[in-house]
This record gives sequence, C-alpha cells and structure tokens, in this order.
Amino acid sequence: MIEYLIMIIAVVSAILALVQRDLLKAAILTGISGAAIAFLFQILLAPDVALTQAIVGAAIIPVFISLAIKKTRRDDG
Amino acid sequence: MLDLQLASLFTVGFLIVIGLFSAIFIDNVIKKLMGIAFIEEGVNLFIVTLGYKEGGIVPIYLPGMDANWFSSTAAYPLPYGLVLTSIVIGASTLAVMLALTMVLYKKYGTLSASKMLASREESELNE
Amino acid sequence: MNELIPIMVIIPMTCALLLSLFSNQNKLIKGLAFFVAICIPIIPLLSNYGLHYFGGHAPLISNLTGVLYHPAVTYSFQSLQKLFIFLLGILVFLVVFIYINSYKKASGPYLFLIFMGTAAITALMLSDDIFHMFIFFEIAALVQVGIIAASSIEDRYETALKYMIMGSIGGPMLLLGIGILLAITGSVNITDIVYAINHNLVSMNSPVFLLACGLIFFGWLYTSGLPPFHTIKSAVYSKAEPHAAALLQAFTVITLVSILIAMFRIFSNLPIFEALLVGFALLAMILGISMALTQNDFRRMIGFLAVGELGFIVLGIGLNTEFALTAGLFQAINEMIVTALLFIGFGVVADLIKTSDIRKTGGLIAYYPKLAIMILIGGFSMAGVPPLNGFQSKLMLIQASLSSGFPEISIIAILVSIATFVVFVKVFYAMFLKPKPNDLVIPNKKVPRSTIFAMAILLIMCIILGLFPSIITGYISGFVGGLL
Repeated sequence: MIEYLIMIIAVVSAILALVQRDLLKAAILTGISGAAIAFLFQILLAPDVALTQAIVGAAIIPVFISLAIKKTRRDDG
Repeated sequence: MLDLQLASLFTVGFLIVIGLFSAIFIDNVIKKLMGIAFIEEGVNLFIVTLGYKEGGIVPIYLPGMDANWFSSTAAYPLPYGLVLTSIVIGASTLAVMLALTMVLYKKYGTLSASKMLASREESELNE
Repeated sequence: MNELIPIMVIIPMTCALLLSLFSNQNKLIKGLAFFVAICIPIIPLLSNYGLHYFGGHAPLISNLTGVLYHPAVTYSFQSLQKLFIFLLGILVFLVVFIYINSYKKASGPYLFLIFMGTAAITALMLSDDIFHMFIFFEIAALVQVGIIAASSIEDRYETALKYMIMGSIGGPMLLLGIGILLAITGSVNITDIVYAINHNLVSMNSPVFLLACGLIFFGWLYTSGLPPFHTIKSAVYSKAEPHAAALLQAFTVITLVSILIAMFRIFSNLPIFEALLVGFALLAMILGISMALTQNDFRRMIGFLAVGELGFIVLGIGLNTEFALTAGLFQAINEMIVTALLFIGFGVVADLIKTSDIRKTGGLIAYYPKLAIMILIGGFSMAGVPPLNGFQSKLMLIQASLSSGFPEISIIAILVSIATFVVFVKVFYAMFLKPKPNDLVIPNKKVPRSTIFAMAILLIMCIILGLFPSIITGYISGFVGGLL
C-alpha cells in the first residue's frame, strides 16, 4: 500500500512545485519529489540506485536550485 | 489493485508529461529547469522499473546462495547500473544550466525566458 | 595492436584532466597540448582493426539458446572509424595549433574542453553499445556549451542556455528510446539488438518498437542540428571562436554519422525509417539554404550552409544502396574538411574587422588576398565545383539517387547546390569585391601565420580528395559492404 502512496506523493509534489509562487518552496517540493522517487527505487529492488538518488535528488538538486534562487530572486516573475 | 510495475509506469508518464509541460510552457527559467529535473527523474524511474521482478530479490549474490535459484529470482541488474550514471549526468547538466541562468540574471535582471529571448532577437536584428 | 583501441579515448581524456590540473603553468600546458595533439591522429594509423572488450569479458554463448551475447562494453574499430578518427585528429591538431599560437596565455580549462570533446566524439564513433553512446552524447553536449560560453562573442550565454534546455529535452528522450530497446531486447549492445531483430525475436510492427525508433530519432535530430533544431545549431556555430566553430562542426558531423549508423543497423528493416531519413534530409537542405539566403550576418550564413550540407549526408544513408551509403559517408568527410576551412576563414575576417554584417563590409581583397583565394576555393568546393572534393561526393550522391529511381531527389540536390553557389558568391562579393564602405576601419594587423598554415593544409586536403577520391572511397566501401 505504501508504494502507491509514495507514487502519489512524487507526482503531487512535482505538480505543487510548479504552481508555487515562491521559488524557495518550489525547490523544497522538488526535493520531496526526489526523495519519494528514491524510496520507490528501494521498493523496486534497487538499493544502490536509491542511495544515489537520495543524495542527488533529495539533497543536491534542491540545494543547487536554492543557491541559484539566492543569487537571483525568490518570487516568480 | 494495480500491478506495482504498471503503477510505476503511470508515475513515469505523469512525471514526464509534467516535466515537458513546464519545460515548454512555463516562462520562469528556474521552473523550466525544475521541469527538466522531473523529466530526468521520470526516465530514470522508467529504466529502473524495467529491471523489477515480481516477488524477486535484490540482485546481490551472497555466499551460500544457489546459483540457479539466484538467477531465476533476482531482479535484472543491468538497468540499475545504467541509471546510476544517468542520475549523475542529470545533476551535472542541471548545475551548468543553473550557472548560466545566474549569469543571465545579472545581465537582464529577470528570470522570464521570453524577456531574455526577446532582447536577444532584437539585438540580433539591430546588428 | 588491439590494445591501442581504448588508448584513442584514454589519451585525450587524461590529457584534458592534466591540462586542467596544471592550468596555471602556461608553458607546460602549451607543450603538453601540442604533443598530445600530434599523437591523436597517429594512434588510429598504428592500430589494427578489431574489437575491444572492456574488462576482458569476451562474448559468451548462452547455454539455453546457443546465442552469442556480449557482456562487456565493446569498442569496434574498422576502416570507417579509422578514417573519421584520423581526420578528427588532424582537425584537433590544427585547432590546438591555432589556439596556442594566437593566445599568449593558454587557458587550461579551454584546452580541457577541446580534448574532452575529442575523447567523447572518438568514443561515440568507436562504441558498439547504445548506452555508452548516450553518456558521451551528453558529455559532447556539455563540452559544446562550454566552448560557446568560453568565447568572447556577444549573446553567447543566451545561446548556450537555449541549446542546453533543448538538449535536456532531447537527451532524456534518447535515453527513453534506449530504455525501450533494452526492455524489448534485454541488451544495450547493438550487435545483440540487431541479432534479436533479425531473428524475429522482436515484432517489427509493434508500436513500442516504432516509439523507440521515434524517440532515438528525436535525440539524434537534436544533436545533429537537423530541423527543427537548425536555428539553434547555426547560432551555436556563430557564437564560438572561429577555430572552435571549425571543431564544433566536426563534432556535429561525427556525432551525426555515428548515431546514424547505429540507428541504421537497428531500424533499417522498418519501412518508415528510410522515408523519415530522406524527408528530414530534404527538409534540412531546403530550410538550411533558404535561411542562409535571408541572413545578413556571414557567420550565421555559413552556419546555415553547414546545416544544409548535413542534409546530403543523411540523404545518402536514407537511399539505402551500397553506392549511396558510400557517397553519403564520403560527403561527411568532405563536409568536415570544407566547413572547417570556411569557419576558420570567415571567423578570422570577422575577428579582424570587428563586424560580421555583409552590408558593412567590402573591398577586403586588397588587404587579405591570400585569405580571399583560400575562402573562394573552399566555397567552390562546398558548392560542388569540379575538380574539388565537394563535386566528387555530390556527383556520387546524384548518381545514386538516379540509379535508385528517385530523379526528383537528384533535381532537388542540384538546385540546392546551385543555391549554395549563389549564397557563396553573394557573400564573397559583399566581403571582398564590392567597393569598400567609408566607415569600415581596417586595422593594421596581419592575418596570423598559424591560421594561414591551417587553412592551407585543409585546402590541400580538399584538392587531393577532389583529384583522387578513391583514397577515401576504398576505405568507406569496405565498411559499407560489411554493414549491408
């Protein structure tokens, strides 16, 4: 059951990230989507890929995006 | 109840469509790049889903396992090896694009893709 | 010596890393870059034809089905690979030579990009494994973006970002297509996939197989700059430094050829595949030439002409006869040489007079006569004037399309050649022959000697290949015979 919940979280947080006005919140939601996909990799019998995705998708990509937002602007426009 | 592999493929479809929509139609460059990250995650999930086997085990061969039993129950490990590379490629591409966005923000003072491209076309016409 | 096959990729890659490491020691990196640039064209000449299995995992025979399959990443080195890697090596040598002679302080990261790109393109040409090709496809795209961003031309970052955003749509689509092929054949090795397809283990008419074809085709269109990506590709060429633009178009041609050969081996049984290739080839030729006619910027014009010429290569492969394939691949080699010559020539002129608008130029023949003659001969070769190399390959292509029963295509090809000639004469007149406008300031600077040397070598290659095309076509037809 939990795997279907995780799939829904991955898709919904991706949609929420794109409708968000505040880009910082959007970056965090991208991280949530990445983390959900990492859990999904674990369920799909790929623990090594899940480890990489957890680091890259849930930590590195949101941090990169937030750094870029810090250097540019936070609101959508 | 849906089959896990099929449900995972639906997730892939949603992620790729959301990503393509935002990469093509949303004006804000950072959101375009987020959409691109979603496309990459969707494709990675697709390739991992290929290797999954219903009721299988993680493809790590431990001492004491029967080789025939292992080869018939373990998931297919080749796609997993491929995805590792592709995750890293996706992250590095995103980093380069974010760096270019920061440089362009300094020049134009906006994150809107249409404004950046519009001023580019004008300067080309004036040349 | 089969051990030399992976060395062709390893040497430029190691050299790139070393250059980036020692980037503050000017003399050292100049010397190293020059030395490795000499080595790169020599290695393919010394190496023997053959296969190389990474990790020594030789092919296995399955106990159940008796089918041979390849567990290792395989490099296949044959006559075509030898030819293309040798020519790429010559171009890299000339580009590095121009670069280290025209800049007092060589930049380590820039040379890193050049050598990394060379390694990536060599690996693309050698590889017999589609996923391996995807990795180097992405590295090549990143390198191209880096080379544009490192130039000093206005609006380079915009072009770089636009090219990358399109690339990040094209790249995952290519990967998705590779994933589908992996799903239906269980392998990423091209030889294994071709075996599965030829022995009816895969249904040819299944929509999934067609989808894989479409997705890989889309990724290939992006990387080779055929329509709908011709505008961005020509912008990429015009935003790079002149010598870098010459290298970038060589990268594009080799990427196009290597992925096209892989696709040809996998999908050539699909009836729609040849129609797709010929359709996009004609579209590229016509769009390239018509966009070139409307431009006022001569760098953009050559960029569009280069894209239009790519159409001839694809046309040759799309006609799918042995003669047409030979003609198409021969055209690829000629295009690499001639376009490099023109990019270097026009780029140097634009650098000297600080403008690339043909309405503001004129009368340059009195100042740069050597350059003018070399550009003129190069342009004639591109337009297909006998006895230069462009004429030989275009003649072969037209004969091939006539003999395979498509006289319409040969008429279009002739018309496009004539239009190329018109565009070229227009540019040449506007730049060199027209009276000099009063507000054009010509600086008291000579054309760098290294540039003249590089252009002369390319020109000599043009003329030799034009007079003796059998030097090259022998190599190619040997490869094509094994392909069909």
